[in-house]
Amino acid sequence: MNADSPRPGVAPSRPQADPRLERLLAHPALWRAGAATRAPVWPSGFASLDEGLPGGGWPRSGLIEILPARFGQGELQLMLPALAALTARPEARWCVWVKPPLQPFAPALATAGMVLARVLIVRATDRGRRPAALWAFEQALGSGACDSVLAWARHAPIRQLRRLQLAAQRGNALGVLFRPRESARENSPAMLRMALEPRRGGARVTLLKSRGGTLRALDLTWEAIRREPLEAS
Amino acid sequence: MRAPRTIDLFAPADLPARNAPCPTVQPVAARSLSPRAIQPSRAPLWLGVHVPELSGEAQQGTPRSLLALAARAQRFTPRVSLAPPDGVLLEVRSSLHLFGGVEGLREALLGECAELKRTVALAFAPTPLAALVGARAERPFMVLDAAQLTGSLAPVPLTALRWPQESIERLACLGVRTIGQVLRLPRAGFAQRFGAMRLTDLDRLTGRANDPRERFEAPARFRRRRELSYESASHAQLAAALRPLLDELGGFLTARQCGVLALECLFWHRRHAPTRCELRLGEPQADAQRLVKLLDERLRTLVLPEPVRACELRAGLPVSRRLHSAGLWQPGERGGRAEASGVELIERLRVRLGDEAIETLELVPDHRPEAAWRRAAPGACAGAASAPPPQDGPGAQGARRKAPRPLWLLPAPRRLRQHDGLPRYRGALYLEGEPERIESGWWDGRDVARDYYNARDARGRRLWLYRERERPHRWFLHGVYG
Repeated sequence: MNADSPRPGVAPSRPQADPRLERLLAHPALWRAGAATRAPVWPSGFASLDEGLPGGGWPRSGLIEILPARFGQGELQLMLPALAALTARPEARWCVWVKPPLQPFAPALATAGMVLARVLIVRATDRGRRPAALWAFEQALGSGACDSVLAWARHAPIRQLRRLQLAAQRGNALGVLFRPRESARENSPAMLRMALEPRRGGARVTLLKSRGGTLRALDLTWEAIRREPLEAS
Repeated sequence: MRAPRTIDLFAPADLPARNAPCPTVQPVAARSLSPRAIQPSRAPLWLGVHVPELSGEAQQGTPRSLLALAARAQRFTPRVSLAPPDGVLLEVRSSLHLFGGVEGLREALLGECAELKRTVALAFAPTPLAALVGARAERPFMVLDAAQLTGSLAPVPLTALRWPQESIERLACLGVRTIGQVLRLPRAGFAQRFGAMRLTDLDRLTGRANDPRERFEAPARFRRRRELSYESASHAQLAAALRPLLDELGGFLTARQCGVLALECLFWHRRHAPTRCELRLGEPQADAQRLVKLLDERLRTLVLPEPVRACELRAGLPVSRRLHSAGLWQPGERGGRAEASGVELIERLRVRLGDEAIETLELVPDHRPEAAWRRAAPGACAGAASAPPPQDGPGAQGARRKAPRPLWLLPAPRRLRQHDGLPRYRGALYLEGEPERIESGWWDGRDVARDYYNARDARGRRLWLYRERERPHRWFLHGVYG
């Protein structure tokens, strides 16, 4: 797909288009490749990011992967506006953090607009063969009681990721998996995969996989966060 | 402990008598609805049990030993009523022939009370109040025929009625000290001076007015045991063996509209002591499917010393359960609330990972970063917290502060190496902006005096450091911006 092709999910604006063509394209029997993959999204809070993501935001259900080079390079800041807006809705469900590597600092989350009563932190310690964190991640995703579930994993077998993706769709939840940059070489069934590098006052996001979108790099600045209440679905 | 009660439906309705506006009209209304006219079978016979030891105790609710006595008394008749704090009533007319008449029943009941180590006084009478009063009179009182009731009650002192002391004293001033004397007073005048309730008491005593009593129902616990046809240590097989027991428990609870908060499974072995497996629930639960799921998770983490020969399920005390109606909207949809499966998720995670593994965060109004938040148990019901709490509490003042805060806090500040007085963390650190001084906590012994700096490391991460104000001015890493 080259850069000139119309971006799916975003209505193509061509002022000089033939009205007959427009009428034809509006026909309900006509399916377009881009529109077929359009899924409901949550706005990410960053205008430049929304523009680059398929459908114009984070998917409402499904697994996405964020691959920062190092922990703490802005990967949480990237998700935070969307998570805060999700917890602030009146019909909000849980926002689950599965085995966070450090202690999430409540005053900072509250400053970002998160409703702490909707945040659930799971401290999983491995018992038995199956890693407890991935098990808890899958349970939370598939439960239907969560809007968003965050997890941090170093190694995740592709079969496990596939289960997570299916669980996220079943539970209508956004699953965010933070993995090290090295995992970019492995295959993944996630809907979105993005690498993250810190920039001064922001970050550069490189889309490694984008189901129904284009692969490109986007520059973000943390100051440019839009905070608006989310529309209910 | 509070015993669930139901109104005894077999007692004749007394509404006309109770609602009669004028006491003088009452006997007529009561007579037209007299128990004998309604009940085709024999007139009731009440057995009053009085426990003198409990009389003096002025305590809230029903004493536990009285509940135990009532539960024992259910052996004799299903129609047992409590008369707190010290009485139990049994309707025994139809049970007399089963226990060898009045004397046999009396002996059997005294035997039960002796097992409970209680000395009791018993009395038989055609009305419940007369049976209680007779038992309190502390002399043999046995009236089997309603026609003899008034005569037998006549010598009983008025104090047995437990009227207010003031009424008793006023009656004593009139020279009225026994029930027989008070029954001879003119009805209208008595009602006017002492209140219609006192007259109703007398009518209930003599059987002129009906006296419905709440029926006592013993709180029953569920307990079932199942022998396995083969010894097994497999979790799946144990779960399958427990499933019918849980189904039975679900039916048991549904019939009572109750739920349980705790379950205990015992697994019996050949040599070892039985293995216990406890399940605690977030809210009263009666759904067998959900219990099966939770128990299945718990069994996976159970370590068995030996194969299991038999399993036993013991449910906690049934408690009343709030019934939910299913929503029109799917959870998360417009108008749909975060539903009960939030509780279900928490329960499932707790069962597998332990109770402490699931938590939520709360703000604490404090300037020290390590004291500005605390862990909290997640709200029991997800729906209750669906309205965002107002963010202008005392804790939010810290949140609204302009100074930036990192998203991650280290569990404990980490000491940094220094080079020329500047901190290093995997390379040089570049300090940014002005320091923020946090100096607080002198009152609780965890005094801090620190200058917080924002810093950037060689890989572009933003860190939150502090330098101690006191010598030797050590540097610590306390947060990561993330």
